[in-house]
Amino acid sequence: MASVEFVHVSKRYGRVEAVSDLSLRIADGEFMTLVGPSGCGKSTTLNMLAGLDEVSAGEILIDDEAVTGMPASERDIAMVFQSYALYPHMSVRDNLGFALKVHGEAKAAIAAKVDRAAAMLGIADLLDRKPRQLSGGQRQRVALGRALVREPRLFLLDEPLSNLDAKLRVQMRAELRLLFDRLETTVVFVTHDQAEAMTLSDRVAIFDRGVVQQVGTPMELYDAPANTFVAGFLGSPPMTFLEATVADGAAGPMLAGEGFALAAPAPRDRLRRGQPVVVGIRPEDIEVSRDAAGHPAATAISLVEPMGSTTIVYAPLGGKLIAIETDKGTDLAPGDPIGIGVPPDRLHLFDPETGRSLSA
Amino acid sequence: MAAVSSVPARPAARSRRRPSSVSAVSWGLLRWGTIALALLAVLVPFFWLVSTSFKREVDYLADPPRFLVENWTLAGYETLFSRNDLGHFFLNSVVVTLASTALAVTLGSLAAYTLARARLPFKLNGALAFWMLLTRMYPAIATAIPYFLIIRDLQLLDTRWALIVTYTAFNLPFVVWLMIGFFEEVPAELERAAMIDGCGAWQRFTRIVLPISGPALVATAILSAILAWNEFLFAVMLTRTEAKTLPVVMAGFITDKGMLWDQMTALGVVTVLPVLLFALAVQRYLVRGLTLGAVKE
Repeated sequence: MASVEFVHVSKRYGRVEAVSDLSLRIADGEFMTLVGPSGCGKSTTLNMLAGLDEVSAGEILIDDEAVTGMPASERDIAMVFQSYALYPHMSVRDNLGFALKVHGEAKAAIAAKVDRAAAMLGIADLLDRKPRQLSGGQRQRVALGRALVREPRLFLLDEPLSNLDAKLRVQMRAELRLLFDRLETTVVFVTHDQAEAMTLSDRVAIFDRGVVQQVGTPMELYDAPANTFVAGFLGSPPMTFLEATVADGAAGPMLAGEGFALAAPAPRDRLRRGQPVVVGIRPEDIEVSRDAAGHPAATAISLVEPMGSTTIVYAPLGGKLIAIETDKGTDLAPGDPIGIGVPPDRLHLFDPETGRSLSA
Repeated sequence: MAAVSSVPARPAARSRRRPSSVSAVSWGLLRWGTIALALLAVLVPFFWLVSTSFKREVDYLADPPRFLVENWTLAGYETLFSRNDLGHFFLNSVVVTLASTALAVTLGSLAAYTLARARLPFKLNGALAFWMLLTRMYPAIATAIPYFLIIRDLQLLDTRWALIVTYTAFNLPFVVWLMIGFFEEVPAELERAAMIDGCGAWQRFTRIVLPISGPALVATAILSAILAWNEFLFAVMLTRTEAKTLPVVMAGFITDKGMLWDQMTALGVVTVLPVLLFALAVQRYLVRGLTLGAVKE
């Protein structure tokens, strides 16, 4: 159980700034996910917290105690690596007990803890095997077990699911969440997968090019993204961005673009006439009208993708291919003319220059 | 499924085009010819050594040479063992080889680990590694006289220590270069995991890196040992009577009265045997060690 705080932390490799001026507080018992595309600085951040990478500037606190210069071995944290990094010359049992042995715990105590962790993860029958005799999913569990056995104050997980196949990944995702709910330990989880970030986390920090773009609960970030990067990163299929200009309409300001016009969201007083904006539309917020003739945002379907539980339909609008989520029983077909409507309060507006949200 | 299995199996093997038989034959000839040549080059001298050791003088001096022994004899071995204190010299060879190999592998792997993992200032890693290799780039004889004088002044002439120190120095660059390659193959994440698990640098080396590098260490040790076991130049230079090793004793059969081929070849066989048995015993490690990292597990 521990809180973590990054205070103006930066990491430079030569002239490249991998992480710049990061300030982030992670509460005791919180499941915090650091998410972003590769090279965004999330893994560097985790490694600095682990003590595997040095900090170039700033301070890292664990439980309000500065650990900035402390070696990894003294930080009392456990980490799960993307490659699992199981010790190939040791049995599963020795892998699990290794940290305890290094810390000089008694043999009986180690055996008891190893057995308990193995039972918790369902790997009790694998204890005498070597890592190379395990499947990917089993190795993953052993790697988790090696962290669990330690009963550390802090768990760090670096892309632990990304080497699993798709089906197993979804299953392990749920198991991870159940496991850490039970343990009530602070977890810092790094992933590039927005679905893992959304489903697992209490809070998410989204990284891009070494800078935290936004921190919040998954739904806060999804519903009120601070900029186009966050808006485009979360959600699948992603939000569509259309260029538009604020124009006068019969019932108040409109957002007019190439071949469409949509009613602007409230509050409308901050929009000036002629102001250029980027309109963000989530696939599930779109209402499709069959009555395309004379519709202010008329188009025709170019592609239908049945996903099973829903059907995603694509149609050109404002120079982009816009994704629309529809019911699975839809009879829409390629070539069908449709009109596109979005409730004004579901629209996201961004500044075209800075990418920042205009809604907040 | 029934539909699938009812499809008649095509005689794929028969309809597939074979490479033209002429080129297949010539490839086979080339391949087996090369193997045969390599085997001949390695085995004929060895066969000659072994067979000569069992020949009578009239047979091994015969002209034209006789390949096969008609009247074989153990006389060479009998004279060899009765006239020489072989046990003493054999022990010299064993002690010198084991001690220098152990020292070279221990010191060398420590150095190699540092050069493979630590980032030394001023790009010293590459410079140091190259410098070590440099010591193997000139012929050893070039340093023979100064080296002899140093060992003399240290009062180590004709002692096992002289050879142990010398062979350790010879083998160090070789061990370092081989082991750098192996250590660099050890995934960095393993060591990072060990750091998280509470290991300092020494524990990471002894508990994680060394056990993983076992086959590589064995392979390196074997090659070092063979080098030390067979070394002649410095052994003959630095020893007189007490610390002589087997190769020096062997050379002693070239006398002013002639070549004592029977004893020399008999000792040759005796010298080869332990190395041969040892290499056969650890062959598995040798092959695994030398191909480590070539194939991902």
